[in-house]
Amino acid sequence: MSTMTFGRYSFRDTFVHRLDARNKIFLTLLFMVGIFFQFNKWSTSLILSGIYIVVLLILMLISRVSLIALLKSLGGLWVLVIFLMAIYIFIPTNNPKLPVAFTIGTLEVHWDAICQSGYIIMRLVLMISLTMILTSTTKPMDMTYAFEWYMTPLKPIHFPVHEIAMTLSIALRFIPTLLDETERIMKAQASRGVDFNHGGIFKRFGAIIALIIPLFVSALERSEELANAMIVRGYDPKAKRTRYRLLKFSWRDLIAFLFIGLMFAGIIVLFVFDRTGEPIDIINFFFKVKGF
Amino acid sequence: MSKLEIKNLSFSYDGSNKVIDDISFSVPKGSFVSVLGHNGSGKSTLAKLIVGLLEKNSGTIYFNGEEVTKDNIQNFQNKVSLIFQNPDNQFIGSTVEDDIAFGLENRCFPHEKMQEEIERFAESVGMLDYLKKEPIALSGGQKQRVALAGALILRPEILILDEATSMLDPKGKSTVRKWLKRIHRENKELTIFSITHDIDEALLSDKVLILSKGKLIKEGKPQDVLRDEEALLAVKLDMPFVYKLEKELAGIGINSNADNVDQLVEDIWASK
Repeated sequence: MSTMTFGRYSFRDTFVHRLDARNKIFLTLLFMVGIFFQFNKWSTSLILSGIYIVVLLILMLISRVSLIALLKSLGGLWVLVIFLMAIYIFIPTNNPKLPVAFTIGTLEVHWDAICQSGYIIMRLVLMISLTMILTSTTKPMDMTYAFEWYMTPLKPIHFPVHEIAMTLSIALRFIPTLLDETERIMKAQASRGVDFNHGGIFKRFGAIIALIIPLFVSALERSEELANAMIVRGYDPKAKRTRYRLLKFSWRDLIAFLFIGLMFAGIIVLFVFDRTGEPIDIINFFFKVKGF
Repeated sequence: MSKLEIKNLSFSYDGSNKVIDDISFSVPKGSFVSVLGHNGSGKSTLAKLIVGLLEKNSGTIYFNGEEVTKDNIQNFQNKVSLIFQNPDNQFIGSTVEDDIAFGLENRCFPHEKMQEEIERFAESVGMLDYLKKEPIALSGGQKQRVALAGALILRPEILILDEATSMLDPKGKSTVRKWLKRIHRENKELTIFSITHDIDEALLSDKVLILSKGKLIKEGKPQDVLRDEEALLAVKLDMPFVYKLEKELAGIGINSNADNVDQLVEDIWASK
């Protein structure tokens, strides 16, 4: 299970790693929202997509997140990609702006559909990549602290903010432990003749039960012991606690904030122009491609 | 004065089968006391009763000569730490430093002084170089040393070890024991109460208690208790290697009363 590298935090001392987790989460969301603006002109979308990808690559370079690891983890997406492609191609386009690419029987498939599906897939890939950069540069503990900070306004209405954050951090802490355990149980059951890799769906389902039940039993036992260990060390969810880790907003955060903030502002300006004024048509301006 | 005194302690999970049956003993201040017993003898239950994870049915616990009651139990619990058997299940923080800090956070220890304190206690168990490591990157022995630091940072007066070394490999066992001995040497005030089924570990303690089916069947100095082969066999424990060897040697006319192998070797040389 050690191959599960997707978005797992790895300690490196980079600019992105040192950013405040709250800021990182906010900027990631801002970037994602920016990605989801839809423009009238394909040219604008295309150019912006290029900018997004360049920014993403720069981010990956700064945070030293491996591009190969990202591509590997994206490999599993191909089913979704084909599914999306198929949907967009077989659903007729309303007011196409681009010429017909090909026809299947009586169905005319416009270039718009192909562009649209490509655009959606690109957004998906960008979203996943951004999430991956976020999770592999932020300590799970800092992430839960950040969530806790964002949820503080809910405290006066007795929403269990601290309890949720603590539960989340423990869940994150135990993921590798439980993965190890899963592997051990799989091996133990395989040595007793359970076949996890062959047979029909029902046979496999039976095999999974031989994995799930021992895993649950052990997880429950663990949780009880963990609860005892926490009580012995004086944990009381209702009591006031101090913090070892404090999140700090530094000059780095300001730089990152300004950079992503400006990018977002640029997207908004473009969007307003695109919807209200004369659509910005950069490709047509340079290359005279009609209608694109 | 005894640090901890237990009088007529009884407990049962279901109301009929007594897991702890009328146990009384005392633990002298600054001593190292071992509790021996086979699986199901009630050892772990005893530890949980002392720290208050389980509520006793009857009996009294005295701490520093004072009875522990509902009013002062908080103070008592602040002075007692417990280390469990499974290294993974008591690692709460996501890294070594977070885990050591956990207890401090609960005690509202000021943030500014935490770093210094954590480093000091990590060093006292030889884990200073591992502060940023995640539990998955540590061996069982290292995790138990982190647990030790996390418990000691709360400055307990009594440290209870519930088979703290039983899930470790021989190397992990010996390093944890080594650090434990060092801690006890440097902190003479600390009373250690170790629950184990490792007879060789018990041999090193000041006092040994033997539990069987919830009853305290033998109590005394390890030199006396661990030579009683019949009592040990009754609870399915084996005599320590040194004593077994002495018994065999006595059969061929070499008499020794040593408590460790080095002393025994000396005695064999002297007998010639």
